[in-house]
Amino acid sequence: MSEFEPKVVAFFCNWCTYGAADLAGVSRLDYPPNFRVVRLPCTGRLNPKFIMEAFKRGADGVWVSGCHPGDCHYIAGNYHARRKFVLLHSLLETIGVEPNRLRFSWISSAEANKFQAMARDVIESVRACGPNLTFRKANLQLDLAEVA
Amino acid sequence: MGNLETITQKIREKAKSLLESGQAEVVIGYRAGTIPLVAAPFFARSAADCDQLVWSSFARLNLANYLPNRTEKVALVAKGCDARSAVGQVVENQFPKENLYLLGVPCSGLVDPAQVAAKEPRPIQRATESDDAITISGQGFSVDIKKAEVLRRNCRTCAHRTPTVANELTGPEAPAAKPDDFEDLKTLLAKTPAERLNHFKDLIKDCLRCYACRNACPLCYCPVCFVDETRPQWLGKSTDPMDTMTFHLLRGLHCAGRCTACGACETACPVNIKVREFNRVLDKTVQENWAYEPGLAWEQKPPLTVFQPNDPADFIK
Amino acid sequence: MPEYLVKESSLASFFQALTQGRRLLAPQGQGDNCHLEVSTGPVSLDYANTHLSPKAVFFPQTEKLLAFHKLADKPKPHQYQDLGDKAEPTVIFGIRPCDAKGLSISNKVFQNDRFTDPYWKGKYEKTLKIGLACLSPSPQCFCAAMGGSPFGEVGLDVLAYPKDKGLGLRTLSPAGEELIESTSAEKADLASEIQDLAKKAIEAQGPLDAYQAIDASKLMDLYQAKHWANTAEPCLGCGVCTFFCPTCHCFDLQDEANDLGGVRMRNWDTCMSQLFTAHGSGHNPRPSKVERVRQRFMHKLKYIPIKQDGVRGCTGCGRCVVMCPANIDIRSVAATMAQASA
Repeated sequence: MSEFEPKVVAFFCNWCTYGAADLAGVSRLDYPPNFRVVRLPCTGRLNPKFIMEAFKRGADGVWVSGCHPGDCHYIAGNYHARRKFVLLHSLLETIGVEPNRLRFSWISSAEANKFQAMARDVIESVRACGPNLTFRKANLQLDLAEVA
Repeated sequence: MGNLETITQKIREKAKSLLESGQAEVVIGYRAGTIPLVAAPFFARSAADCDQLVWSSFARLNLANYLPNRTEKVALVAKGCDARSAVGQVVENQFPKENLYLLGVPCSGLVDPAQVAAKEPRPIQRATESDDAITISGQGFSVDIKKAEVLRRNCRTCAHRTPTVANELTGPEAPAAKPDDFEDLKTLLAKTPAERLNHFKDLIKDCLRCYACRNACPLCYCPVCFVDETRPQWLGKSTDPMDTMTFHLLRGLHCAGRCTACGACETACPVNIKVREFNRVLDKTVQENWAYEPGLAWEQKPPLTVFQPNDPADFIK
Repeated sequence: MPEYLVKESSLASFFQALTQGRRLLAPQGQGDNCHLEVSTGPVSLDYANTHLSPKAVFFPQTEKLLAFHKLADKPKPHQYQDLGDKAEPTVIFGIRPCDAKGLSISNKVFQNDRFTDPYWKGKYEKTLKIGLACLSPSPQCFCAAMGGSPFGEVGLDVLAYPKDKGLGLRTLSPAGEELIESTSAEKADLASEIQDLAKKAIEAQGPLDAYQAIDASKLMDLYQAKHWANTAEPCLGCGVCTFFCPTCHCFDLQDEANDLGGVRMRNWDTCMSQLFTAHGSGHNPRPSKVERVRQRFMHKLKYIPIKQDGVRGCTGCGRCVVMCPANIDIRSVAATMAQASA
């Protein structure tokens, strides 16, 4: 069996981390290809149900990244998001989501190096957690024996 | 006359005068239930109705739940948590303050039927109460149980038994209980993620997804709940354990910083799930991070509507 | 049909015989913790009723109906496969007469001259139902008022009752007769004892009222009665009543799919939810809880009797009375309906 390659769903703010990913690309900074990016207008747009949906559909990790506090394109979106993240992080950690499966960061569009380092760190720590078996939705694992 | 009868008397008198003077068009309170250990929500609109109003330690629902979308002037018979939830409804613009009269009841904690059943498994036909004890009887037995031994968990750690905001109190202030120290959660947090997950999976394993916890909650007034959304459908309708878990997690998150620990959710749950565990995790986080308790004043700003530039969040790198 | 006796000393071998070639389901536990579970041996007779009604045995809360897969290398890709009848031969011991009657009411919904539901049919017909009569009904019981009896025989293959630490039995169907003949139960004449016990148990339930008045009232008088807004006012809209009701049978079909394939399943639904009647257009014929609460009580006490020859859709098990968080008691609602339409 091939080595486990984690799948991570990444929610990036359009105005910063998404730009940082672009800059990392044009700067030829290599980073692991294991994440699928969902572009948000602001981390304030992130509804906790998006994160649950990612885990339910089998994502091995979720990475949320936006603008540094004070840099929000919409002035205060990430300040509000930060309070939501505090709650979300505490609840998911308490009910047993390994801390490394759910990561948050602030990366501006100029920080291509930070993006590269963070991307590597996120993917490697999710890899260490192993595949997401516990937060995956059971019904979607089709019992093919039952079908065929 | 015991304290409970005095309060009942006071509620009836006040209800009548409020209806008569037009200060209220409906008084929302409790009547005696049709089965033992239950008091039922009751809507009094006439003097005759008012004579059915009672106060008892079986008044476990949160009557603030009946405020949103109501256009009448309401007098609400409110124990500490109900009053806080009603204030929350006003703060969240779900009910106009000028239409609300809070008839505050100093509460000494409510009785949990599950704990009564644990002490007395025989079928109960009748239950009466005095200030500190309930008397339950059935075929060939009659037993006294001290209320303090069968109070709901949230009542045992209620710091605001007497309404903090009310137009009028129906009796002398009730002594506050020792607030929740979250000791059990701290012990739980010391365990491994897998153990914690098992704890919470076990907690909700009987869940029928009837959403009684949501419907009994005065915070849940969304016109369309996320569980009922269909485009897209965020939550499967089956008994899939992850869908059930997602429901409980998101329900908890929606209540964060707003929950007054009234316990109506646990009261309504037909399979006795301690659904408030999820809320308690978040209560603890809210108190630790933003030192906030909801529903204590009209001017309060809920913690998720405000921020400080230097809010702590060390886990964000 | 004949009666039989199982002595205390032969209880173990009696239950042993029941499990031959079938699984035995029996109530285990007490109070809120009493559930139908697979059992192998002597079962406790000391319970009021199971927490949930036995309908889930025949109509599970979630049931997969069809499935398909998209894997080209496996047989029959992209075709729906029926997951229908996987029922195994079963005997349930200890269904209360109210619940057995409830099952027979749902049975007419799932199997009638217009439709047959294969998922229900398979399980219902492969299950033998042994009822346990109630010697002393619980405070919330009112089966007699609903036209049933603590010794009711509807929907059962065998009726049992506790007798001298053993069991008295009456067989009610050929299949039940065959089942009991295969055990160590001995023939006995218990007819007069059953009659006496039943009479006593009915008397213990108190007076029968109100329901006849509803039967006699006109449909539209009941429907248009003024009390519905008041009746519905305390309702939280949670649907606990429907989930616990032995005769509630409404369901919702859902498809779930991913890259590999998908399933179609049916889940319990509840008429207390606004989503239950919401149309794709956005219109909702039961827009508020007033219409929804009316629907529930009218369905139980008027619509089902009209469709099922006067048999009421409520069997008086009392679960909704105990479970309703807002204490909306169907007995009081029936009284109000009777009064309002008089």
